Amino acid sequence: MRKINRRKFLYCSAAVLSSAMPFCSFWPFAGTDSEASGSVDIRGRIFKGGAPAKLWKWSHEGFFYTKLKDNKVVCGICPNRCILAPGDLSVCRSKVNIGGTLYSLTYGNPCSLHVDPIEKKPLFHFKPRTTAFSIATTGCNFRCLNCQNWEISQVKPHQVRHYELFPRDVVVKAQSAGAKSIAYTYSEPTTFFEYMIDIARIAREEGIYNLWISNGYINRKPLLELCKVLDAANVNLKSYSDAIYRKLNGGRLEPVLNTFKTLREQGVHFEMTNLVVPGYVDDPDMVKKMCGWILDNLGTDYPLHFLRFFPKYKLDRLAPTPVSTLTRFRKLAMQEGIRYVYVGNVPGHEGNNTYCHNCGKLLVERKGYLIPTYNLVGNKCKFCNSIIPGVWA
Amino acid sequence: MKKTGEKAVILVVIATGISSVVTQLLIIREFLAQLQGNEFVIALILFSWLITGGIGTLLARLVARRLWRPTACRLGWLSFCLAFLPALQILVIRRLRDILFIHGSSIGFYPVLGYIFFTVAPYCLLVGFVLPYSLFLFRVEDPDYPGTRIYMTDNLGDVAGGALFSFILVYLFSPLQAVFLGNLPLVAASCFLFVSIRRMHPAAFIGAGLALVILLSGIYFEPATLVPREGELVHYKESRYGRISVHKDREQYTLFIDGTPVFSSQNLNMAEEAIHYPLSQVSDPENILLISAEGGMMTELQKYRPAGVDYVELDPEVSHVLFRFGLIKNIPGLNVINQDARAYLAGSDKIYDAIIVNLPEPETFQINRFFTGRFFELARTHLALHGVFGFSVQGFDNYLAEPQRRKISSLYNTVSDHFKHVLLLPGERIFFLCSDNPINIDIPACLEKKGIPTSYISGFFYGNLTHERIVGLNNMIDPSTPENIDEFPQLIRLMFLQWFAKFSTSPYGFIAGLTVLLIIYLVRIAREEFVLFSTGFMAMGSEILVIFAFQIFFGYIYFQIGLIVTVFLAGLLPGAWFGERMRGRGRLMLALTDGLLIILIALFMIAVKQYGDRLPVAVFLIFGFVVSLTCGCQFPVALRLRGGDNPAATRAFSADLIGAAFGTLITSVALIPCFGIIWTAAGLIGLKLTSIIVIATGYEKNK
Repeated sequence: MRKINRRKFLYCSAAVLSSAMPFCSFWPFAGTDSEASGSVDIRGRIFKGGAPAKLWKWSHEGFFYTKLKDNKVVCGICPNRCILAPGDLSVCRSKVNIGGTLYSLTYGNPCSLHVDPIEKKPLFHFKPRTTAFSIATTGCNFRCLNCQNWEISQVKPHQVRHYELFPRDVVVKAQSAGAKSIAYTYSEPTTFFEYMIDIARIAREEGIYNLWISNGYINRKPLLELCKVLDAANVNLKSYSDAIYRKLNGGRLEPVLNTFKTLREQGVHFEMTNLVVPGYVDDPDMVKKMCGWILDNLGTDYPLHFLRFFPKYKLDRLAPTPVSTLTRFRKLAMQEGIRYVYVGNVPGHEGNNTYCHNCGKLLVERKGYLIPTYNLVGNKCKFCNSIIPGVWA
Repeated sequence: MKKTGEKAVILVVIATGISSVVTQLLIIREFLAQLQGNEFVIALILFSWLITGGIGTLLARLVARRLWRPTACRLGWLSFCLAFLPALQILVIRRLRDILFIHGSSIGFYPVLGYIFFTVAPYCLLVGFVLPYSLFLFRVEDPDYPGTRIYMTDNLGDVAGGALFSFILVYLFSPLQAVFLGNLPLVAASCFLFVSIRRMHPAAFIGAGLALVILLSGIYFEPATLVPREGELVHYKESRYGRISVHKDREQYTLFIDGTPVFSSQNLNMAEEAIHYPLSQVSDPENILLISAEGGMMTELQKYRPAGVDYVELDPEVSHVLFRFGLIKNIPGLNVINQDARAYLAGSDKIYDAIIVNLPEPETFQINRFFTGRFFELARTHLALHGVFGFSVQGFDNYLAEPQRRKISSLYNTVSDHFKHVLLLPGERIFFLCSDNPINIDIPACLEKKGIPTSYISGFFYGNLTHERIVGLNNMIDPSTPENIDEFPQLIRLMFLQWFAKFSTSPYGFIAGLTVLLIIYLVRIAREEFVLFSTGFMAMGSEILVIFAFQIFFGYIYFQIGLIVTVFLAGLLPGAWFGERMRGRGRLMLALTDGLLIILIALFMIAVKQYGDRLPVAVFLIFGFVVSLTCGCQFPVALRLRGGDNPAATRAFSADLIGAAFGTLITSVALIPCFGIIWTAAGLIGLKLTSIIVIATGYEKNK
C-alpha cells in the first residue's frame, strides 16, 4: 500500500469535509425542523437535552403526565405524548423533565396580551360585540408552515420577552380591560394547559368566559378537564386529510376529529375554521367529505369558517386563495347541510354575515368587526322565531 | 500537437469560457426564481460555483496524472458533456425543487446550501477540470507551454460570454434557449477538435448530435417546467431583472416575480392600507408619487381625485403586466415612469403631496437603498410642506420578535432624523407614516371626514389596530439601534438575522466549518498561491463593492451595471498579457501590483467618501478595469514563481477560484452589512498588505 504524505492527507480531508458540509441539510437530525429533504411529515421532534440549565422562576409541575423508569416521563396533554428523559424539552418546547418530574416552563409567563374583538377569533355565534382578553405563551405542538404567530409558537420560552402574570392577575387585567372573556390563543394554548386551566377556573368564578382557540390537538382526558371551565372554542380543522396534516402542519387528523366529538359531547359551543390553502386544501371533493363527517358526527349547527389563505411564514410562495373558491366552498357546505358557513379574510363578502337557517333573512350583518345590523332577539331569529345555535345574549 | 489541433483546443477553451459565464448567470437567475432572493443566497450561489470549480481544478491534476492521461479525444468528449450539462442542470433544478422541498414553501439556510451545492457541482467540477486538462494536453507535446495562455484564452471566452448574456441573450431568449445559444460555440469547437484529429471522426457526429438533442429537448420541455400547480400560467417573460409570470387561478390573477407572489388582483386590504394610511393625513393631495404599486392601488388613489400620479416602476415588464391583467388600472393623470426610483428623484425637481413606497423587504443591496437615510432625505426634499411620506415593511400578528424589533428600530431611527413626526402602524405590514406635520392616529375618522369610503379600514382598523397595539409598537423602538445608511446597510444584516430566526437555524456551523477549511487551506498553500488567493478575493470583493457603490449613487441601471461586470472580466485579459511579459521580475512584480491594488482601493475609498454621486460613471468603469488588469497581471507572475509545471498551474488556478469564492461570500454577507463600505475597503487593503508581507518575508522558489 502506498503511503500518503501529510499534505495530501490534509487536502483530501479538506475536500471530503467541504463536500460533506452541504450534506448536513439532508441529515435527518440537522436543524430543528425538517421542511427539507422531501419530507412528507414535518412533525416536530423532542429536543434532546434542550431543557434550560435552571428551572424557570415560576415553572409549575405538569398535569397529566406519567412517570416511567429511569426517571423518564411521558406527557399526556397532547397526542405527541413526548417521552422525556431528564433534561429533555418537549416537541411543543414548553415541557421539560427535571429529575424525573415534568414541568411547564410557561406558567405565569405570557408573552403576548391583547384585547381583541371576539369576531377576530373568529367566534361569530358567541357573545357578539364583546371583547376578549387574549393571552399566549410560547409553544405549539404543530409545525404549520403557514403559522401566523410563528414568532411565539415556534420558539422556546427564554427566546421571547415576558410578562410575569399569575392566573389571578390575568383575570384582574381582563376585568379592567372590560373584556367579557379570556381567549387562550395566538400560539397553541394546549401547550400551556396548566396555566390556562388555572386562569380559567378563577375566571369562571369571576363570571368571565373562557375561550379556547386551538388546533384541537389534545388528548381526551385533559380536554374533559378543560371542558369543565370552557365556554366556547374555535378549533382549526386544517384539512380533511391526514397526509396534508403531516405535510403542512406536522400533526395528525384523527385526534383533532376526536376533539370535536368530545366538545360536542360536553356541550361546549364551538366553531370550526378551515384555512383554504391553494394546491392543498382547495379540493372540493375533500371539502365534501369533510362536510359529510361534520354532519355525521357533529350535526348541522356548528358554524364553519372557510378562511382565505395569504402567503405567510414558510408557505410564502403560493398565491392567495381566489375569493370564488371560498364562495363555492361555502355554497357547497351549505348544500351539504351545514347551516352556518362563513367566509373569512375577505372584507365585504356576504359570507361574513349570519343568515337565518330557516327563513334565510339577514340576522347579523358584519362590516369587519362592526355589526351594523342585528336581528336576533335573545337566541331567536327576529323574523321567524327559530332558535339560532350559539350563545348570543 | 498539430497547428489545427492546437487551434481547436484554443477554440474549446474560449467556448468553455463563453459557456461557463452564460451558464453561471442563468443558474443564478434560476436559483433566485426557485429560492429566496436575498443577498445571502446570491453569495451562496457564487460561492458554491467558485468553490466547486476550484475543486474541479484540483482534481484535474490528480486524475490527469495517473488515471486519465490527457488526449484531444477525451477533451472533446468532456466538452460535449459540458455543452449539454447546463440544460440538464436547469431542468433538474426546476424539477427537484418540489421533490426535495414542500411545494409553495421557502427553504432555510442549510437546505439552500445543500440544494445549490449539489445541483451546481456536476457542471462546475467539470468546468474547473477542463481548463487545466486543456493545459496538460498542450504540455504532452510541449512541456513548456505557458499556463497563462490558457488563463488568458479562458478570460477571452468569459468576457465574450458575459457580454453575450448581458446585452443580447437576457433581452431576447428564455433560459433554455439562452443555454442552447450559449453552448452552441462549445458544440462547434468540440466538433472541430474531433475533426482536427481525424476527418469524419464518428465522435464529432455522435457527440454533437447528443449534445444538440439534449439542448433542443431542454427548449422543448421548458414550457412544461414553468406550468404552475395551481391555476394556469397566462404570462411568462424573463425580463432583465428577473422572472415575471402571471398565474390565473379562477378569477384571480397573481403576479409572481422570481417565484414569489407579489401582487394579487384581490388583495384589497394591502392596497387600502398602503394608500389611505398616508393620504388620510394630507388635506387635498394633488400630486402623488408611487414607487412601485400593488393590485388595486389606483382604484384607491382615484378616490382622492389627484391631479397627477407618477408611478415609478424599475422594470417596464412589471408595469406592463400590471396594466395588461388589470392588477392596476389606468386612472386620469397617471404617468408611468420606468426608471430606478432613486435615480428618478435625484434628477427631478417635482414636489409631491405624498410619496408612497411599496417595495419588497430590504433583503438585497438594491432594495435596501430605498430604506436609508440618504433616500429618506431625498424623499423629504421632494415633499410639499404639508406632505407625507409612507412606506412599509413586513409586520407581525401578535408579537414583535427581536430581530424584527431591531429592524424597525433601525428604520425608525433613520427616518426620524429627516421628519419631525413618524408614526408606526402595526399589522401584517408595519406602516411608517412620516411628515413634518403632526400625524392623526385615528385614520378611519380622517377618512370619514374626507368622505373616502373603504371596505377594510372602516371595518377592521379599530379591532386590529387598537390604541394599545399602536402605542405598544411605537414604545418598543430601541433608540440605540444604529441607523441604516447607504454606506453601512444595517438592515441587510438584520434581515439575515430575521431569515435565520424564521428557520430556527444559525449560520455558525457553516462559518465554523468554513473557517477550519480555510485555515487548513491557507496553512498548506505556497506564498505565491496566497497572493493569488488574495487577488481572487480582492477581485470579487472590489467588484461587489463597486456595483454596490454604483447602485447607491446612480440607481439600478441595468446597462451600466452590465458594463461594470464586463470591464471587471475584460481587464484580466490585458493584465495577464502584461504579466506574461513582466513575469521575469518575480517577487518584485507581485509586491508592486499588490501595492497598486492597495492604492487603487484607497483612492476608491477617498473618492466615494469625498465625492459620492458627483463621481462620473467612467470612474467606476476605469477603476474596475484597472483593478482587474492588476489582478490579471499577477497570475502569470505567480505561476512562474511556482515553477509553472502542471501541479503549480492547477494550484494557481484553484487558488484564484477559491479566493474569489471567499471574496464573494465574505464581502457581501459579512463585511459590507457588518462594517460598511469604508471598512470593507479597508479590510481588502488589509488582506493585500498581508499578501505583501507574505511576499516580502518569503523566498523565491525555483529560481
